[in-house]
Amino acid sequence: MTSDKSFFDFISNGLPGPELREDADNAILPARQLAFSRFRALGLPSVKTEEWRYTNIQRFLKDSFSLAQEEGTITAEQLKTVNTKIPQLDSYTAVLVNGRLQIALSKLPAEGKITISKLSDAANNTQLQLWFDKHPHLQQQPFAALNAALFADGLFIEAGQNASLDKPLHIIHIYTTAENAFIQPRHLLVLHKGATLEIVESSVGMNETAIAFVNSVTEIILEENAELWHYNLQSSEKNSRHIYHTSTVQKADSRYHHFNFTLPSAELTRNNLSVALTGSNTETNLHGLYLATDEQHVDNHTFVDHLVPNCNSNELYKGVLLDNSNGVFTGKIHVHQDAQKTNAFQQNNNLLMSEKASINSQPQLEIYADDVKCSHGFTVGRFSEESLFYLRSRGIGEEAAKTLLVNAFAFDITDQVHIPALQDFLSEKIRKYVSGAINN
Amino acid sequence: MRNSNEIIDDIANKEYEFGFTTDIEMDIAPVGLNEDTIRFISAKKQEPEWLLEWRLKGFAAFKKMKFPNWQHFKMPELDLQKLSYYAAPKEKKKLNSLDEVDPELLATFDKLGISLKEQKVLAGVAVDVVFDSVSVATTYRAKLEELGIIFCSFGEAVKHHPELVKKYLGTVVPHSDNIFAALNAAVFSDGSFVYIPKGVRSPMELSTYFRINAENTGQFERTLIIADESAYVSYLEGCTAPKRDENQLHAAVVELVALDHGEIKYSTVQNWYPGDKDGNGGIFNFVTKRGICKGNSSKISWTQVETGSAITWKYPSVILQGDNSEGEFYSVAVTRNKQIADTGTKIYHLGKNTRSRIISKGISAGHSDNTYRGLVQVGPRAANARNYTQCDSLLIGDRCGAHTFPYIESRNSTATVEHEATTSKIGEDQIFYLNQRGIETEKAVALIVNGYAKEVLNQLPMEFAVEAQKLLSITLEGSVG
Repeated sequence: MTSDKSFFDFISNGLPGPELREDADNAILPARQLAFSRFRALGLPSVKTEEWRYTNIQRFLKDSFSLAQEEGTITAEQLKTVNTKIPQLDSYTAVLVNGRLQIALSKLPAEGKITISKLSDAANNTQLQLWFDKHPHLQQQPFAALNAALFADGLFIEAGQNASLDKPLHIIHIYTTAENAFIQPRHLLVLHKGATLEIVESSVGMNETAIAFVNSVTEIILEENAELWHYNLQSSEKNSRHIYHTSTVQKADSRYHHFNFTLPSAELTRNNLSVALTGSNTETNLHGLYLATDEQHVDNHTFVDHLVPNCNSNELYKGVLLDNSNGVFTGKIHVHQDAQKTNAFQQNNNLLMSEKASINSQPQLEIYADDVKCSHGFTVGRFSEESLFYLRSRGIGEEAAKTLLVNAFAFDITDQVHIPALQDFLSEKIRKYVSGAINN
Repeated sequence: MRNSNEIIDDIANKEYEFGFTTDIEMDIAPVGLNEDTIRFISAKKQEPEWLLEWRLKGFAAFKKMKFPNWQHFKMPELDLQKLSYYAAPKEKKKLNSLDEVDPELLATFDKLGISLKEQKVLAGVAVDVVFDSVSVATTYRAKLEELGIIFCSFGEAVKHHPELVKKYLGTVVPHSDNIFAALNAAVFSDGSFVYIPKGVRSPMELSTYFRINAENTGQFERTLIIADESAYVSYLEGCTAPKRDENQLHAAVVELVALDHGEIKYSTVQNWYPGDKDGNGGIFNFVTKRGICKGNSSKISWTQVETGSAITWKYPSVILQGDNSEGEFYSVAVTRNKQIADTGTKIYHLGKNTRSRIISKGISAGHSDNTYRGLVQVGPRAANARNYTQCDSLLIGDRCGAHTFPYIESRNSTATVEHEATTSKIGEDQIFYLNQRGIETEKAVALIVNGYAKEVLNQLPMEFAVEAQKLLSITLEGSVG
C-alpha cells in the first residue's frame, strides 16, 4: 500500500493510487483513469496559475500526507462529544466519517422517493454513470480531477419525481485521522423533475495534532422544475485544510439556492462553486458569508455560466476579516452568445476589522450577448465611525456596538436563510467570534 | 428611416477615413533585431555612451522575456526580426517656421483636419509633430522657454538636458518592466520630453501628434514628462495612421513623474488604422504608460479615447507614492468589426490619504471584444486610501463581447475601495423616447452614446474634445441592435 507515501512523493512518482487498483471491477474505473491523466496534464497549481494567484496552495501541501483514507470509526458515544449540533434544528441527519456514510449513527428519512446511500453502493446506478465527473467546470480543476481519480467514498442522494422531505436533511461530515491525511470525499445529488430538497451541511474535525486536508467534490443535478436549498457551514478545527468543489447543473425552470458560511477556524478554505445553466427560466441565488480570524485564509471562487436565454442569477458574498486573516473572492459571470435576456448580478462586500487583515477580489464579467442586464459590485472598508458613535452615544458598549454592526452587515445574508434555527445559530456564532476578536 | 440592420452594416463596413500614405524619403535601419541594430540606432542619433548602455540592458532583458499569455485575446504572431527599427524623414534641416516644413507633410495634416496652421490658430496649443519617429517641427518653443519649460523631442533632450533624462529615464517604467517596454528601451526611436520647473503652470496645452508612416516600421516612441514641485502641465497625444494591409506594432512607453504638489494631466485620442471588416491589417497598440506621484499632494490624471487599432492593449497606471496624492483614469474605448481592446488601469496606493478614481466606458459593436482589466492595490501603509471605480459596457449587436476583469487587493483596514460595473445594451425605451420626439434612430444612438461617454469626454481639454466627439460619431453613429 502507499499509506507511507506523502502527497508530493505520490505526485512526483506518478503512481496510480490504491483505489485505482482495488476498484478494478468498478463501472466508473475508466472515468477515474481519465481523471487521473487529466490531473497529470493540469499539474499542481501555483501562484502563477491565474485561478490560484491569491492562494499559494503549495504552502498547504508541504506537510506529508497519507493518501490511504482510513475508514475512521466513531461510536455513538463519541458522536455526542463532537460539536455538530445546531440547536433547535429539527432535521434528518446523515453522518459521514471521512466521507463514508454511517447508517447506524444517522437518522435517515424512511425509504420512499428519496434514496440516500453510500456512493460506493450506487456504483451501478444509471444516474451515477450518467453524471459522474461530467460537469464541464470540473474539467479544468486539478483538485477535482484528483478527487475523481482517488476518492474513497461519499454520499449519493437521488430524489425522485416531485419528491420532497418534511424537514431538512443535515449532513454531518466528520474527519478523524491519526496521521496527516489527504481525504477525498465525493458526493452526487440528483433531483428529478419537480423534486424539492433542503440540505444543511456542516463539517467537524476530531484530530488533535494530525492535519486533515479535505478535498471534496459535490456534483448536483437539478432536473426540470427541481428546487434545492443548500446550506454549507464550514467551520472545522484550526489545523484542517479544505477545498470544496460544488458544481451544479440546472435544467429548465429549476431553482438553486446556495449558502456558504465560512466560520473560524480551518486554516485554509477554498470554495470552487460553479453553476452551469443549461435550461431556460432558472433562478440561481448564491449567498456567501465568510468570517475569518487568526491566520485563516478563505478563498471563494464562484462561476455562473449562462448558456441559455432567460435565466436569472444573483450572487451576494460578504466577508468580515479579523486578526491576520486573508480573504479572496473571485466571481465570474459568463454570458454566452445565445443567452439573451439574462439577468445576472454579483456583489462582494468586505469589512476589514484589523490592521493585518487583507482582501483580494476579482469580480469578473464575460459577456457575449447584448440583450442582457449584468452588473457586479465590490466594496471594502471598515466600520463607519458615525454608526459606531451613534450606538456608543446611546450607552451601548464598544463590544456590543461592534457586534451589532457586524450582525447588521451580515444580515443581508442571514436574512435569506429559510431555517430559523440556522439563522439564530449563525447570529450567535458571529457574536461569539467578533467579541472574541475584540477582546484579544 | 433606414432599418437598424442597414445602419449597422453601414457602420461596420465604413472604410477608414484617414487611410492614405505620404511619400517622403525614409532613412531606414536594416531589417532585424540584434545588438548591431541597437548600436546603429544609437549611432544614428549620436547618443552618449550611457544611453547606449541602457539600451543594451533593455535588450538583454528583452531576450530573456516571453510574450505574456494572460490577455483576453489571441496573441497575433509577431516576428520582431522582420521589422525595421528605425525610420526618420530624410530632411534634417532645422526649421523655424511651418513654411519650411515639407509641403507634403503639411498636406497630410490638412487631410486629417488637424493642420498645424489650425492648431496654431487654436489658442495656446504648441505642437511637437512626431512624423514617424523624429520631430520635424516644434512651435511655441520660444514662449515656453521664457518660463523655463522644456518641451522638445527626446533626442534633443538627451543632447541638451542629459542630467534630467539620466535622472528620470526608466524610473517609472524600468527597462525590464515587460517585454514590450524592454523592446522599447532597446530600440526607442524618439518621442517627447517635457519638464515643467518648480512652481510653473504651463500656460498652454502641450500637444504631439503621432503618425505611423513607414512600411514595416515598428513605432517605439518614448515620452518622459516631469512636473517639478507645484508645477502643472496638460499634455495631449493624438494619433491617426494611414491605411495599410500589414500589421504594424506600436510599443511606446510613457513615463510621468509628479513631484510635491505637481500635477500632470495626460490625454490621448487614439484612432489608428483598425484593420478592415475581416480583421486584416491594423495596428497593434501595445503601450506601457505609467505615472508616479512621487511627491506629497501630487496628481496624475489619464484620459483616453480609444477608437482605433486592431488590438489596443494598455493599462495607463499611477503609483501613488506621496501622501495625499491623487490618481485618475478616464477612458472610452470603442471597438467594432474585429477590433480588440484589452485596456484599463493599475493604481497602486502606497502613501497615506491617497485617492483614486476610475471611470471606464466600453462600447463594443460588430464582432469585436472589449475588455476592461484593472488593478487597485492598497498597500499596508496607505492609511485612509480611497478608490472609486466604475466601468460600464455597452453592447451593440449580438456578436460582440464586453468583459470586466478587475483585480482589487487591499491590505489596509482603513482603506475604502468601491468598484461597480454594469453591462447592457442601448435601452430600447431611450431610443423609443427619442424616436417619439422625431429624432431618427441614427441620431438617437449618437446622442445616447455621447451622453454615455460624456463623463469621460468632459475630462478632455476643449481643443481635443471636438476631435474626440467627431471620432465617436464617425465610429458609432446610428449603430443600434
